[in-house]
This record gives sequence, structure tokens and C-alpha cells, in this order.
Amino acid sequence: MGSVSQLFFDAASLGGIYALAALGIALIFGVMNLVNFAHGEYITFCVFALIIPSTDATAHLLLGRAPAIVLVPAILMVGGGLAVMSEALIFRRLRNATPVTMMIASFALGFVLRYALLAAYGGRPKAISLWPGLNTPVELLGASVPLLQLIVIGITVAILGVLFGLLKHTRLGLEMRAAAENFTMARMLGVKANRVITGAFAISGALAAAVALILVTQTGVADVRMGGPVMLVAFIATVIGGMGSLPGAVAAGFLLGAASVILQAFLPLEARPFRDAFLYSLVIGCLLLRPQGLFALSGAKPRV
Amino acid sequence: MSKLAIHDLTVRYGKLTALDDVSFTVQEGARVFISGPNGAGKSSLLKAIAGVATTAHGRIEMDGDILSGASPEAIARKGLSMVPEGREVFGQLSIEENLLIGTGIRRDKTAIAEDLQDIYSAFPILAERRHASAGALSGGQQQMLVIGRALMTNPKLMMIDEPSLGLAPKIVDQVYDTLVELQALKGLTLLIVEQSSARAARVGGRMILMRGGRIVGDGDAAVIGNEDSLRDAYFGNANHVKEVS
Repeated sequence: MGSVSQLFFDAASLGGIYALAALGIALIFGVMNLVNFAHGEYITFCVFALIIPSTDATAHLLLGRAPAIVLVPAILMVGGGLAVMSEALIFRRLRNATPVTMMIASFALGFVLRYALLAAYGGRPKAISLWPGLNTPVELLGASVPLLQLIVIGITVAILGVLFGLLKHTRLGLEMRAAAENFTMARMLGVKANRVITGAFAISGALAAAVALILVTQTGVADVRMGGPVMLVAFIATVIGGMGSLPGAVAAGFLLGAASVILQAFLPLEARPFRDAFLYSLVIGCLLLRPQGLFALSGAKPRV
Repeated sequence: MSKLAIHDLTVRYGKLTALDDVSFTVQEGARVFISGPNGAGKSSLLKAIAGVATTAHGRIEMDGDILSGASPEAIARKGLSMVPEGREVFGQLSIEENLLIGTGIRRDKTAIAEDLQDIYSAFPILAERRHASAGALSGGQQQMLVIGRALMTNPKLMMIDEPSLGLAPKIVDQVYDTLVELQALKGLTLLIVEQSSARAARVGGRMILMRGGRIVGDGDAAVIGNEDSLRDAYFGNANHVKEVS
């Protein structure tokens, strides 16, 4: 019983991170057919925004020193601002370009951000202690769960609730859903392209910031390479979920988190180092069975 | 002043010229059918006016404002609404959401609510299923929905690309009855692409006949629709060929 609930909490908290990151990618893909490979670097950037730029081995908190009530909105704004800025400076100019051109531009942006961080902070991972109290274990359903894990699960669910509420019940949400389905038609009905796209980038960047906060609290490390692997898994989640489907991205994010935790627990000891090989074999199997994704939209077609 | 004025409008897709120096004006409150064979440039004309096809050169004016070069959303804000070919409903959105998506450009909240009620009383089936997703509607119901959706932007000029496409003749009758009724009610100017000249002649109005990206006939739909010009538009001008040879 204890180990089963332990597995559940592990899977839910890891899956939550993947789901939030996947949502950030799916949102932008939905409105402008761009797979934004810089998303991982948005996450990393937000982590480093917490500390003072220096190549010292130890991290000195900058934004991270602020109380949570200031820190959380500030970091969400850093993420949202970074994403909005990259849209205004780069992707807006490529809006009529092919999806491949936009994708390559996003790769390039990712590298620029990563090397900028490398130059400012150095390549060595830094220990960073944000809210250390959150790692105290709590006894729940027979499992010993770090408080943080519960908070991560709770926050993930809350963010998903707020986001879907926003999409369902606000003007911007309605416009984003319409634009995701048929951008040209939405514009012919007076929906402003810039407003919708800027909105999608802002939300996507804020989601990246949320992932950054969760990651850094969980791992206690700031590393310029930490965003990349999350982005990769999240991207796979959006593909399995059906490109552009937001519920699909969330479900597939949780699914990948769960599969990853279950494999880690049940694979024979000598096979565990190769866990990812098993995980991605499952991904390939999934794509072979349903190439359009588990939750594909019928209307998911290129915008231009 | 005319409602819509098109001057020397040219649209190209790569090397293909879809519209070739087209000029005409439309009077306020008029009903104008654009007819002609496939590839005549009818849809390109509507797309260029709506701002979704790039114009190579030429000028489009509505109420004296220059539309050419403006974004589709800016053009919609000036009071032009488009019902494109194939209807393009937002299938994932509910029927009511489809109707409301175009009201973002309006500030008159009470009028929006009234207009919504008007549409629901004109198309009761839409009211009945207002929370169902629009993708589940039949072709005829979707046509009603997109006409309603365009009307909800409170347009002065409405363009409809092939409202009869893929619909049973009886449904097409209904669609046109509704359009004529709404036009009288709202004082709309209508620009309708209609393949069937017989249909246009029956509904009545002006007809512009196109072929190969040019205007080859312009006049009363009842006259033009039954004249030689129609045959010329579809099969080429036999007299013209004789003159050349």
C-alpha cells in the first residue's frame, strides 16, 4: 500500500511538471503552428533569474531572496515577458514563414539564451536553496511524501484549472480557441492576431516559469542544461497527445511521468540505467498505433 | 458615394494571375452576384477585399476608406464581414461561441444581446442547440450559423462565397430567403459568389460575370444570367475568335 501510494505521488508530481511544460508548447503550437524549442531555455532562464549573475560556484539569491508572495508573480512575469519579447523580436517577423523556418529560429533562440546564461553564470551547476522547508516529509496514505511533492501536485491541478477556466470563460480564451482552429477565419471576424499570439506567448512563458520554480525547489540545483530534457519530454507529450490539443498535452504529460516512474520502480535493477530506452520504445509504439496522437483534433491542420 | 469601389485590382499567386485589373463599384444596399466558371477569380476577389489575399496592385475602397493593405481584422472592424467558401465553422466551439466570436469588435453590449436573439429567432435550430459544438451541425445548419456569425459583427457589407455549395436545393432556397429578408431588415450591402446564374436570376439583383480573372459581363442578373455573355464566360467568346482569324 505504502509503495503504491508512493509511486502515485512520484508519478503525479513528475507528470505534473511534464504536463505544465507540454501545455506551454501546445498553446503556442495551437495558435501559430510553431514548435517553440526555446521553451526549455525559458525554463532555465527563469531558474537563473533567481540568482545573482556570477561565475561563482555557490549561488547568491537575487529574486530568490524575495518572499514567495513577491517572488512567484515576479518570476511568472519574467517568464511571460521573455516569451512575449521573443515573439515580438523574432517570431512576429516570421509569421508568414514556413513552420520549419520558425522551428529553426526557435532552436537558434534556444542556443542564444543558453550561451548567454553560460556566459553570465558559468557552466558549473550551482546549489541553490529555495524554500528548503518544503522538502520535509509528510506521512500520507502510508507513504512518506515530501511536502513539496504535494504542493507540486496541488499547484499543477490549480494551474490547469485556472488555465482551462480562462480558455473557456474569457474573451481572450475564446479568441485563442477560435484562432487555434482557424486563424484566418478568426481574423476575418475581427480577432486581432497580435493580441491572441502575444497572449499565448505570455501564458506559455508563465508556465515555463512555474516549471522552473518547481524544478529548482525539487532539485536544489541551477544548471544551464536543466531546461533541455524537460522540453524534450514535454515536446514528446504534445506529439503523443495530438499536436495542438491542450487536454491531450496534459494527459500525455502525466502519462509520460507515470510511465517513467513505473519503469524506474519495476524494471530489473540491471536494466534501470536504460529506463529512457524503454520509455521511448513505449513512445514509438504509441506513435505507431496512433500517429495522429492519442487525443488528436480533427481540425488540426496547418494555418497557412 | 458608392459603398465599395475596386480600382484595377490584380491578385497573383506566383506566376498565376488570379485577378487581372478588375474595376467596379457597388452601391449601398445593393445585392451583387459574382458568377463565372471555376478559376474565374471570384473567390480571389472576395479574399482580396477581405484582406486575406495579397493584392499585387490596385485599390479597394469602402466608404472612401482604403482597405487594400489593411489586415483582415482591421477590415472586419470597418464593417465588412466575410462568409468564406466551405463555411469554415469553428467545429470545436459551441454554436453560441461561434456567434459571439465576431462581437469582440463591438462595444454595444445590449445591441449584441438583441442581435443574438434575432439570429436565434431567425434560426431556431441554433437556439435549441446553442451549447452543442458547431461541428455536429448539418451543412445547411452550418450555412445558417456562418451567416449568423457574420451578421453578429454588425457589418455594413457582407460577402458570401458560394452559399449553395453542397446544399440541397430546398435548403438553398431557405438560405436565400433568409438573406433577402435580412438584407431588407438591416440595410446590408451584399456581395455573393454564386455559380448558378439561374439561381441568381431568380433571387434578383445585379450580376457581375467573370472569366479568367476579368469581368466579362455586368448588369441585371435576370438579363445577364440568360444571355450569350454567360455562354461566352463559360466557353469563350466565339465571335472574338472569329474576329481574330
